[in-house]
Amino acid sequence: MTDNRNTTVEAAEPELCGSVMVVGAGIAGIQAALDLSAAGFHVYVVEEGPSVGGGMARLDKTFPTGDCATCIISPKLVSFARDHNIELMTLSNLSRLEGQAGNFTAEVTQRPRGVDIEKCTGCGECWTQCPVRNVPEATPSFRPGADISAEDRAWLEESLARHSDDPAPLIQMLHETNERCGYLPRPILEALSVRLETPLAEVCRVASFYNAFGMEPVGRHVVEVCLGTACFVRGSGILLERLEKETGAPAGGTDKGGRFTLRTVRCIGCCALAPAMRIDGVTFGKVKLDKVAGILETFE
Amino acid sequence: MSGRIRTIEDLNRVGESGLATLYPDRLKIMIGSASCGIAAGARDVEAAARETVGNLGLEAAVTRAACIGFCRREPLVDLIPPGGPRVSYGNMTAKKMRELIESYASSRDMKPDSAFCRFTGETHVASGSSHCYAQPANGLLKVPEFSAVDFYHRQERIILRNCGSIDPLQIAEAIARGAYRGAFRAITAMTPEEIVREMTDSGLRGRGGAGFPTGQKWEFARKATSDVKYFICNADEGDPGAFMDRSILEGDPHAVLEGMLIGARAVGAREGFIYVRSEYPLAVTTMERAIADAEAMGLLGDNIFGSDFSFRVRIRKGAGAFVCGEETALIASIEGRAGEPRTRPPYPASQGLWGKPTVINNVKTLASASAILCRGAAWYAGRGAEGNRGTTVFSLVGAVKNTGLAEVPLGITLREMVYDIGGGMAGKRPLKAVQTGGPSGGCIPASMLDMPIDYQKLAEAGSMMGSGGMIVLDASTCMVDLARFFLTFTSDESCGKCAPCREGTKQMLRILTRICEGAGRPEDLPTLERLARVIKSSSLCGLGGTAPNPVLTAMRYFRDEFEAHVNLKKCPAGVCRNLVKFRIDEKTCIGCGQCVEACPVGAVSGEKKKPHAITQATCTKCGACRSVCPVDAVTAE
Repeated sequence: MTDNRNTTVEAAEPELCGSVMVVGAGIAGIQAALDLSAAGFHVYVVEEGPSVGGGMARLDKTFPTGDCATCIISPKLVSFARDHNIELMTLSNLSRLEGQAGNFTAEVTQRPRGVDIEKCTGCGECWTQCPVRNVPEATPSFRPGADISAEDRAWLEESLARHSDDPAPLIQMLHETNERCGYLPRPILEALSVRLETPLAEVCRVASFYNAFGMEPVGRHVVEVCLGTACFVRGSGILLERLEKETGAPAGGTDKGGRFTLRTVRCIGCCALAPAMRIDGVTFGKVKLDKVAGILETFE
Repeated sequence: MSGRIRTIEDLNRVGESGLATLYPDRLKIMIGSASCGIAAGARDVEAAARETVGNLGLEAAVTRAACIGFCRREPLVDLIPPGGPRVSYGNMTAKKMRELIESYASSRDMKPDSAFCRFTGETHVASGSSHCYAQPANGLLKVPEFSAVDFYHRQERIILRNCGSIDPLQIAEAIARGAYRGAFRAITAMTPEEIVREMTDSGLRGRGGAGFPTGQKWEFARKATSDVKYFICNADEGDPGAFMDRSILEGDPHAVLEGMLIGARAVGAREGFIYVRSEYPLAVTTMERAIADAEAMGLLGDNIFGSDFSFRVRIRKGAGAFVCGEETALIASIEGRAGEPRTRPPYPASQGLWGKPTVINNVKTLASASAILCRGAAWYAGRGAEGNRGTTVFSLVGAVKNTGLAEVPLGITLREMVYDIGGGMAGKRPLKAVQTGGPSGGCIPASMLDMPIDYQKLAEAGSMMGSGGMIVLDASTCMVDLARFFLTFTSDESCGKCAPCREGTKQMLRILTRICEGAGRPEDLPTLERLARVIKSSSLCGLGGTAPNPVLTAMRYFRDEFEAHVNLKKCPAGVCRNLVKFRIDEKTCIGCGQCVEACPVGAVSGEKKKPHAITQATCTKCGACRSVCPVDAVTAE
């Protein structure tokens, strides 16, 4: 196994180079490659795994429409394979990227396959004959909840005990996790899934359905701008813009320094104080634009 | 505090102790401490009051009440001197609080000039009794009586009977004003059939918005045969612009618990849930405390009032999904799943929570039910109009002088709401429309102000009662922009289960956004109407079924504004950025400089005391200058 080779894809000219690289050949990568090819670009597709298709090739149905996954992906796979404008590199990683928009130089490292693709017909004989069959590519072991810290584990067990007589504690547990961490960390979700005997997919579905929960860490202070009707007609839209500017955080996100997370909420029920906002649970009513900076200063 | 309550004597005994704290024989300083009061600074006022009372060594009780509904005057403080009348002060600050207490301590001067109303007596609505304060001293006579204040004189407070007058954390004070007497009557002296008949006779209809007769709902659940039944209080008040449910939970939690107790007895439920928004933390903690107090007194739990009836209540916090106000979605959420609605029938009354018969009632419905059982169906049915009995609560907000919660008999006109209770418009701009029913409702134009407000009339006008939000709009609101706002809301909140709502609201939003941005096409308006028709008729639940209402009513009553956007590329209200140019009127401008400070991009220039001007090239049309201008000199064209 010494035939690792480095391929350098050179751009022909400075300015715009006419070729595009797509990294990842899941359904999104495939579609992107097809669209780019149709638009007249030469497309290099870099895929880390031995084959294309990604997660969707393993699905039965897709969310939320319940469409047949195979019916969506199969025609795309066929067009992808037949497209002369698309050059596929499997078992490959993008190891270096230089340049700027319109003209990049990429270095791709390709690992050996051990099979001559030009000759292989995909019959599968080698696979069935292989003594270590079914492990053409070792999959990482999945141990849900293994990454959880001892402290979080103890807290989790204690909270679960408090909800022991509750027939459906999931959402309440998510609330408590949110209060503890400010967001829902993946290890805790995994541990919850194991302890509540609920599939992780279901836990994540519930967690992502509700606006109150976020999967990303939050800043030191959470600013919530009310976008209820009363606030809206009294200028909460302008207030939100001002807050985005002052905090440096986009609506729904956190600023670079991790000081503020800016969120919008539907209505905090203080309509007579419109426009209203809440910082770390403290409500500020009738917020004047020129007072915003002063209020934010008190939260370090 | 005494132990379990079994008999009416026990209730009276607890009531006596409540009266002692309601009307103490020393000065009582009552701070309005609901969420809105706290946001307006009630905590600072309270701290100042405690400090001053301590410093002066004054014999006084500083207590917290919730909200009496007059949001415009927040924070509110009531002073009740021993034997004297109760006097309310609005817009209180820590400084004013200190001065008031000091002046009372030194010369018994209650500063009548800064008071806004007084109470010579209070009716305890639930028990029917009343409390009379002593005659006010001379100086206080000129303070208007509570019932004479414009905001209150048309109101009839049944649902809000105790809000702002009791300490919500003191169960004894609620009992002193008649709480749990209706439940006592229902549990010890009535059969479930009789309770249901009483509800039916009262004519009460669901106050959550749809207006389904409460007696009928209870009857369906009562008749359903099952070993387990559930009773749910829907406090997932998602309509932006409505906050009465929050106010009731924070101000009078026992009225709601009592309503649940009565309903559970009627249908035979032994377990109940209160599904409350997590955005209302104070409501959650107040309710938790109320449940604990009621359990300690045996008003919840096993063998209530010595009967064989047992009932327990749990709180479920919502997680910020508007669709969970829909009953089947709410059930899914309590069951710990994503809050998606399902098709009805089967209705929850036959198959609800965990497949068992379930009643779901709104907070206001339950607070009304407890009053009805206390005072009787005939008493309640004497209010309101035929087919629309009783009272309901509106949150009057927007461009109106007196903002707040107003409880009125059904059948009152919009004009009375805005001009009598609301005291007229807040600014100089004329009234343009009143938005009712939140994202499910619509805009009623100024020309229809004399329409009586009831379930049928609102539906005929294309709007709906909804949970009672009433947002007064003036000429500075663009109806197309407002329609777009509501569609943004509903398309965000659509759970995605059914295609008409998920895809339809998105498409309508795209078209409306296009119109607001000045890229509207003539065919857009008929397309909007066609889409709206399809979404209304084919959506799975009420969210989609009513989502197009704001657009349809806006197009029905303000068609010219839509046409101006599409054909002339003009926004008459001067809101839609791509279609307006801001200008400062040189004649009106007083050169105060506020707009210069407010402008985020430095597009406004001019010397102090001289007319300012806007540099069009840098202006981002954010409207900040317009919103701060004290003389309305910034115009949009």
